[in-house]
Amino acid sequence: MVDKGKISAMQLAFLLYLAITSTAVLIAPAITGGIAEQDMWLAPIWGSIAGFLTVFIAYRLNTIYPKQTIIQYSEKIIGRIPGKLIGLLFLFYYLHLNALSLREYGDFVVGNFLPETPMFVVLGTMVFVCAAAVRGGIEVMARTATIFIPLIFFLFLFIAIMLIPDLEPKHMLPIMENGIGPSLTGGFLASSWFMQFFLLSFFLPTLGKKQKGLKWGMLSVIATMLTFFLANLISLFIFGDITSTFNFPVMSAVRYISMADFLQHVEAIVMAIWVTGTFVKIAVFHYVLVIGTAQWFKLSDYRQLVFPLGFLLIIMAIWSAPNLQKVAHVLGTTWPFYDVLVHVLIPTLLLVAVWLRGKANGKNARKK
Amino acid sequence: MMWRIRRKKDKKKKQSALKQSKQEQDPLYTHITENENQFRQIYEDCSDVILHPFSIGGKHQALLIYIDGLSNTEEIDDSVLSPLMTATVNDGEQQVSTLIKNTVAVSDTKEVHTFSDCIQAISTGKPVILADNSQTGFSLGLSKWEKRSVESPEAEKVVRGPREGFVETLTVNTSMLRRKIRSPKLKMQSMEIGRYTKTNVMITYVDGLVDKTLVEEVLNRLNRIDIDGVLESGVIEEFIEDDPHSPFPQTLATERPDIVTSNLLDGRVAILIDGTPFSLIVPTTLYSLLQAGEDYYRRYLMATAIRWLRYLFLVISLLLPSLYVAVLTYHQEMLPTSLLISMAAAREQIPFPALVEVLMMEITFEALREAGVRLPNQVGSAVSIVGALVIGEAAVSAGIVSAPMVIVVAITGIASFTIPRYSAATAIRMLRFPMILLAGTLGLLGIMLGIIMIVVHLATLRSFGVPYLSPMAPMQFNEMKDTLVRAPWWKLNKRPRLTGESNKYRQSSGQKPSPIRGKE
Repeated sequence: MVDKGKISAMQLAFLLYLAITSTAVLIAPAITGGIAEQDMWLAPIWGSIAGFLTVFIAYRLNTIYPKQTIIQYSEKIIGRIPGKLIGLLFLFYYLHLNALSLREYGDFVVGNFLPETPMFVVLGTMVFVCAAAVRGGIEVMARTATIFIPLIFFLFLFIAIMLIPDLEPKHMLPIMENGIGPSLTGGFLASSWFMQFFLLSFFLPTLGKKQKGLKWGMLSVIATMLTFFLANLISLFIFGDITSTFNFPVMSAVRYISMADFLQHVEAIVMAIWVTGTFVKIAVFHYVLVIGTAQWFKLSDYRQLVFPLGFLLIIMAIWSAPNLQKVAHVLGTTWPFYDVLVHVLIPTLLLVAVWLRGKANGKNARKK
Repeated sequence: MMWRIRRKKDKKKKQSALKQSKQEQDPLYTHITENENQFRQIYEDCSDVILHPFSIGGKHQALLIYIDGLSNTEEIDDSVLSPLMTATVNDGEQQVSTLIKNTVAVSDTKEVHTFSDCIQAISTGKPVILADNSQTGFSLGLSKWEKRSVESPEAEKVVRGPREGFVETLTVNTSMLRRKIRSPKLKMQSMEIGRYTKTNVMITYVDGLVDKTLVEEVLNRLNRIDIDGVLESGVIEEFIEDDPHSPFPQTLATERPDIVTSNLLDGRVAILIDGTPFSLIVPTTLYSLLQAGEDYYRRYLMATAIRWLRYLFLVISLLLPSLYVAVLTYHQEMLPTSLLISMAAAREQIPFPALVEVLMMEITFEALREAGVRLPNQVGSAVSIVGALVIGEAAVSAGIVSAPMVIVVAITGIASFTIPRYSAATAIRMLRFPMILLAGTLGLLGIMLGIIMIVVHLATLRSFGVPYLSPMAPMQFNEMKDTLVRAPWWKLNKRPRLTGESNKYRQSSGQKPSPIRGKE
């Protein structure tokens, strides 16, 4: 074990929930809305199936190798070289994914609030804070997430309640005008967020009580699904068909909040609190990258890797996409396939391999 | 690993310190003259040490040593000197030591055998008697010196609650604790710290409530200390903290016996130090630094409300100036139009950007506060009030700072006074300045990053193994009722989990009062 910290299953659920919803709520309504249109509210429900599946796969693999992450057990299952290759793919994937999230955050901040601040500064400060948390280890991240989760929860509740006067439920009609197809395609796009629950595989070894991992993992998927569903519903009720034309529909919806001529233009506060969610997301993925890299190289300590990999992350975020539109385009077209490959296909194949080997071993044992 | 190396070094240092005083470890000589010479050599140029040779019953030579002003001279004369000098000495084989033991009318009489024992006794105000032809001396518990009387604590005032505070004398302080916890389970282990001051330090805990490993850890950390002198608990605090570079205090310093008592009953350990009214309580958490002792004596609804007010003002004292900067520099649209117009009008004449204005005023305010603390009472309050008024008023009318800015600084100042623990309040005061700079460079985003950084730091902190942010993170729902709110006493059945694990329940449940009704 590279990090000796221990967290509880509930803290793990908080971490995953924050890590996944913070960007999902921000840009997913636009992406799913582009395809599913007025059925976009169904997309998270279909997508969550992938979430339950990945949590289950991650949990099953963990019960077989309770103290290891996929970087380590892939070598044991399919041999050293192929295992290392899979590990490398995972590490690259997490670097890439985190770089895109970071880029989304940077574009969001620069585009909406700090137009004259250089991108590098915005990304650099965030990565620095995340790196500080990652250096502290899993316990520190879990505690930080525990402190922030009420903040995010009340923020979301606040947005939802404040927007009630502006909601137009008739936007969701007609339901399933073109059959179930569009919503399923939207669900497939949404599932790329739910598949990120495979992160569980990296955190299950740190749990004090393993049995609760599955339960809290599933609860976390449900909570994410509900949040995601609510975000899509609110965007749909406010903007209707034009949801997909916004970069950040929920944030645009927040601009509608106005109470008694006093409480208005709260988007800066909403952004500020949202930053905590983004922080958890980037920190969690960075942690996974750093821990994974340490395990891939079989290092005994991961702390030296935190800042160099953080620097790599900033560069990757700046180079990986020319602008936000490209990021959204990638996320809406090819990314889900990438996700399915890394988060579902490979783990499932690994699980099948273990199962087949177990059967073979069983037969051998019986023969003997 | 580092720890071990350091410990080895410590051992070496201590050994060399011991070597120097090797001769003091020697046992007493048999002949009184030799002893007297040795003591005269040790106490050379110490004119306050009195060596008084006399004879017991006119036969045995004896020597009395004490320090003028540390011992009760009247008692020495009445119950030691006069009985001994008038004692009738039989010519038989009666030992001098038994004679002294039987004649001296002092309850706390102890045998001493070495020079260092004698020196220690003498320096704590206990007179030492040595007799000829005897290698045994006696230390007499007759210490008496000027003490400050027990007064209400200066730094922690209450409206309702006990008004006594600790004083500089350790024995008085321990007696106050003993009076509050009248159980032999209250343990006090004493040790000496300081090569020269030899300060008496008392580790206090309630046996059966405290985690034994915690006591051991405290003893270990205290044992490692090897310094010249301990003048205040702050010195010890810096040696035993988990993270010495953190701005946040990881021990709770208090001069109130009732706070120490309630913490002892929660399974914590208190460190009492001679010479200072401040005792240290470990482990401590951020929330215990935000609680006043009075919270537990007030009606619980009020106590809860006050607690929330305190949390709110904690945030204000940390963030208000930086929010002002961020909103005025980056997010003007957040202000309602009418407020924005009046703010803009007030700031029209100001030559500085908001960031400079805030920094200027905040630094001035901190300087005023610091000056107010040091000034003598008669001028202190007048100067600080007048200074603040004149500077605030004149600066506004001269157009150097805006009036809203003065309000912001004033509210921030008041907010920082609502934090009950001075050391926690200073931490927040200090962190305010980096927050202002962050707000000036990155606006609300900068403030948020600063907050995240602070929370990450707080999450890393531990005080004697207890996470600093508990019970919020790691979350313990059961203890929320003494952090988020102050539940009524009859609901606070369990001790805090992290310190009171060994004895979970502090009272029996179901004690909610239910008066008999229906007797109109």
